[in-house]
Amino acid sequence: MRTFLLKRLPSGLLILLLASFLVFLILRLIPGDPATTLAGPDATPATVDAIRTQLGLDQPLFSQYVHWLGHLLTGDLGPSYAIGGQVSDLIGNGLAATVQLTLGALLLVVLLALPLAVLGATTRHRAVAATVQAVTTAVLAVPPFVTGVLLVLLFAVTLGLLPAGGHESLLDAPDLAVQYLLMPALCLALPSAAVLARYLKNGIDRALGEDYVRTATALGVSRRRILWQHALPNALPPAVTVLGLQIGQLIAGAVLVERIFAWPGLGQLIEQGVLRRDYPVVQDLLLLVVAGYVAVQLLTDLAYAWLDPRVRWE
Amino acid sequence: MTTTAALSRSGARSRNRYLTGLLTWRGLTGLALVGVVALAGLLAPLLSGTDPNAQGPLALAGPGAEHPFGTDDLGRDLFARVLHGIGTDLSIILLAVPAGALLGCACALLAASSRWADLAVQRVFDLLLSFPGLILGLAVTAVLGPGRWTVALVIAIAEVPYFGRQLRAGILVQREREYAVAARVGGATRSRVLLRHVLPNAVDPLIVQTAVALSVGVFIEGALSFLGLGVRPPEPTLGSILSQSVAYLATDPAFAAGPLAATTALVLGFTLVAEALNRGIRR
Amino acid sequence: MTAFTPSPAHGVTRRALLRGGLAGAGLLALAACRSAADTAASPAAGGSAGPRSGGVLTVGTGIDFTPGLLFAQSANTLVQRLVFNTLTRYDDQLRPQPELATSWQVAPDGRSVTLKLREDVRFHGGRRFTADDVVFAVKNLQNPARSAQLRATAAAVTDFRKNGDFELTLILAHPVSNLFDLFEFMIIPDSATVEDAVAGTKLIGTGPFTFTERRPGSSLTFARNPDYWNPGRPHLDGVEIRVIPQAESLLSSLRTGQTHLSYNVRGKDVATLRNDPLFRIKQYDTGAGAYYIGANLTAEHVGDKRVRQAIAWAIDRDRFLQQALGGYGTISSIPWPKSSPAYREADATRYHHDPDRARALLKEAGVGPITLPFAHSAEPGATAVAQILQYDLQQVGIQTVLQPTDSPTMQKQLISQSMPALWTLSHGFAQLQPATLAVSAYPFNEAKNSSHFSSPAYTDVVQKAWNRPDSDSPEAKALHQQITEILLDESFVIDLAIAGLIEVAGSKVRGADLNKFGYLNLDDAFLTA
Repeated sequence: MRTFLLKRLPSGLLILLLASFLVFLILRLIPGDPATTLAGPDATPATVDAIRTQLGLDQPLFSQYVHWLGHLLTGDLGPSYAIGGQVSDLIGNGLAATVQLTLGALLLVVLLALPLAVLGATTRHRAVAATVQAVTTAVLAVPPFVTGVLLVLLFAVTLGLLPAGGHESLLDAPDLAVQYLLMPALCLALPSAAVLARYLKNGIDRALGEDYVRTATALGVSRRRILWQHALPNALPPAVTVLGLQIGQLIAGAVLVERIFAWPGLGQLIEQGVLRRDYPVVQDLLLLVVAGYVAVQLLTDLAYAWLDPRVRWE
Repeated sequence: MTTTAALSRSGARSRNRYLTGLLTWRGLTGLALVGVVALAGLLAPLLSGTDPNAQGPLALAGPGAEHPFGTDDLGRDLFARVLHGIGTDLSIILLAVPAGALLGCACALLAASSRWADLAVQRVFDLLLSFPGLILGLAVTAVLGPGRWTVALVIAIAEVPYFGRQLRAGILVQREREYAVAARVGGATRSRVLLRHVLPNAVDPLIVQTAVALSVGVFIEGALSFLGLGVRPPEPTLGSILSQSVAYLATDPAFAAGPLAATTALVLGFTLVAEALNRGIRR
Repeated sequence: MTAFTPSPAHGVTRRALLRGGLAGAGLLALAACRSAADTAASPAAGGSAGPRSGGVLTVGTGIDFTPGLLFAQSANTLVQRLVFNTLTRYDDQLRPQPELATSWQVAPDGRSVTLKLREDVRFHGGRRFTADDVVFAVKNLQNPARSAQLRATAAAVTDFRKNGDFELTLILAHPVSNLFDLFEFMIIPDSATVEDAVAGTKLIGTGPFTFTERRPGSSLTFARNPDYWNPGRPHLDGVEIRVIPQAESLLSSLRTGQTHLSYNVRGKDVATLRNDPLFRIKQYDTGAGAYYIGANLTAEHVGDKRVRQAIAWAIDRDRFLQQALGGYGTISSIPWPKSSPAYREADATRYHHDPDRARALLKEAGVGPITLPFAHSAEPGATAVAQILQYDLQQVGIQTVLQPTDSPTMQKQLISQSMPALWTLSHGFAQLQPATLAVSAYPFNEAKNSSHFSSPAYTDVVQKAWNRPDSDSPEAKALHQQITEILLDESFVIDLAIAGLIEVAGSKVRGADLNKFGYLNLDDAFLTA
């Protein structure tokens, strides 16, 4: 395992360095800078220049880049330019919210996909199988921002069961936090659950068609036992890879879902950061997203190896 | 000589497999859905004589004889807007997806040329995949300004790594097959083996990926519009009409019905086609 | 073989894990017996008659508070008057009323003002409020980095003379007619923590509420200040400002009772709440800013006054008001809202929808079919506005290419005077003393504005209106009228409509108010049982 990690780490670091350069450069290419945002709509050019100097934006680009990397290495992210507060606090809070949302969604993905897939693969009724197929296909065909607003109208406005939007910390008030979490997590989870369910169902189908299953059935092993002990374990490892890819999709989808449900996560923070040209926030955050992706890829490979003993730590 | 024969036979066989895949109920439904929607978009000027951008005092009217889908918040005819919106969407994704696919495939071929190129290309794919699509959209739009070309660019960039990774995996598998080894032993150059023998056999999954990418393209356009990063107004797109209608879902749900039906049908069609092709190939 | 049957031990572990996870989810669901859907609506105990004490008021806003713009007029001004106080406060007729200043005396020549201050005021940290704090507040606004729009007025204060701790004379370089605009605008911060305030970490003032926590992008919370100088106030135990960027979500949040009060509901959404007994809707005469079309006079075609006037005649302001603002607001060819001393009905309706007249003016100017770039803000409301205007202009032969622009880019172009030929935005500062508009709002600034408009006549009349001690004498009124005439004739800023400033309050909310700069005042607010 150590050699596995040693082999993967350097390329991960290379990606991070590349990403840092790209992120820095793209941000400076965007017209307008934090000084214009901070100066407000009725500022004079003198005000803007004063703020620019104060923020060090009059320095040459290369030295700004080196300055930033230096701060990153010491772990001091510094203050945000436009949003206010320390970058580390902003990212910390946003990360906590997004992790809650993504984990909630992930849990729902598995809770929804597993039964659906098993149902679709094992049912003897054609109608049930067709319904499962239709539901998973239909979910994929409706844009998430429409699903989100429909969920709000149904559960919050019409039924009054759940809050329309907002966020509560899982540590402070877990019972309330779960209610705030339910709708955005569901909205985020639905498309991924559909993808996973179909993938898993195909996997189970394939496994059930294998010779050893037929042999087992002939030997009188019960259907349930075959499913849980043979078919499902064989269908899981590739599904985990799909799940790993879906995590990336979940984070991407979070940008939309967070906007609809006023969820103060990283998606909102990035959007605000770009819209206000808050360089430090966007730079650090995007780098974190890249790092997170690299880590998730690594973890997926590890999980895959854990679930499928054929894969060795090479 | 033998390899060429095998190749042409395999080509014929794969064309056949696509066809058997498409000639199932799934494939036919998919084709029908895409066909109807695309045709409606193509024939927009014939089907509706109304200017999609003409405004009037009658805003948020429900469906009726004069306005089959009703009117939007600025009093524009929704039927005309949805039809023209389909055209805009199709013209964007039919440009962006092939461009993304070609770029991705070019990268994969480059990766196949040497170990170092492979490493570099893989890292580029990782980098592209690690930026969630919408964040990429946010950045690209902020730099270039919103518009049709920007939306197309965002979709194309988002698709590059998916095509690239798939082709690269295919090449790795096919390269070790007997026919490829035989061709190499027979004295064919590395690039000739790659282009003439390996590539044609590795494209199967790409056909499926194309259908998937087309449906994803419709979604990306919608999401960009929802975030205010879409095509320059007043040009209608499915995504822009739909995100406009979201504000009125509670009070005027009929506003959303037309664009939602068109979007769903289009995406559903592409998805079904992708599935049908996939099953055909695996058969 | 390994693929065929995994070792039983593994199988059990994994299944146990799965079961454990399901059980955990079930527990969480069981724990969720408290409902988050109606927590905001649940009242605290209290009396029946008169203002009731207690309860936390939730205010919904679309835009987060920007600490760096604490001392400027920005998109979110809800915080200022909760934590801080101002020296005076305007009533409906723009007559100043006492707040931290109990009385004031403007010298006959208008070159100084003497203020008497309250003696029983303490900052949240416990320190006493004195004349030094007023001196600091004025100097603070003179600092360009604070981006205060009323800096020109603050900068007219050249010296301070203290007479004890609670009496202060401000010496002015010249008389200024909008002195009390400054006193309405200028919050009095604690000098020791002002840098923390603009960094968003600590807000220390003398106001009715103390700042407890900010979660950027999500919420700001405030607690009752038990030592507030206004006896028995505030009634509320606390205030929470929730940031809800998506307009539909803000509306849903109000409908579910999760949010009590908002000033950011779009006019067309208010229309859907109009007949709902659960809401009380109040319009402020000050308006929420004016929508306008700006013209860059250095660009082709629009440098000609007749083309700009043609644009003013081309717009169907009634349809604009209905479709863009849901009917909430007033159509207007002038910047002034009804509450302004410069407002005159005849001026407000000077331009109306007359496409023939617009075409005639274009013909007179020798302009054939033209195509002009037209910038607008990229958010959905502004995009609808721009499309309406684009269509009306197209009807008289002016084609436009819309340029959706995000706000920093727009600001950069405004400040650097590099706007395209046409743009649409909204402006504030017309709800105050008329001179404030022309010295503090960038579109109208006589010295330098985004339109590149300048004329000796405009500069002269603006300076005259500003450099005088009063704003309601007949001479002042005549000057205001001259400003209006120039604005209408030159049309470098083509006003369309004043957006309604609409308070949407849940039926339990009483006594909320905004000052003329949109600072939320909750001194007298309470929640009924």
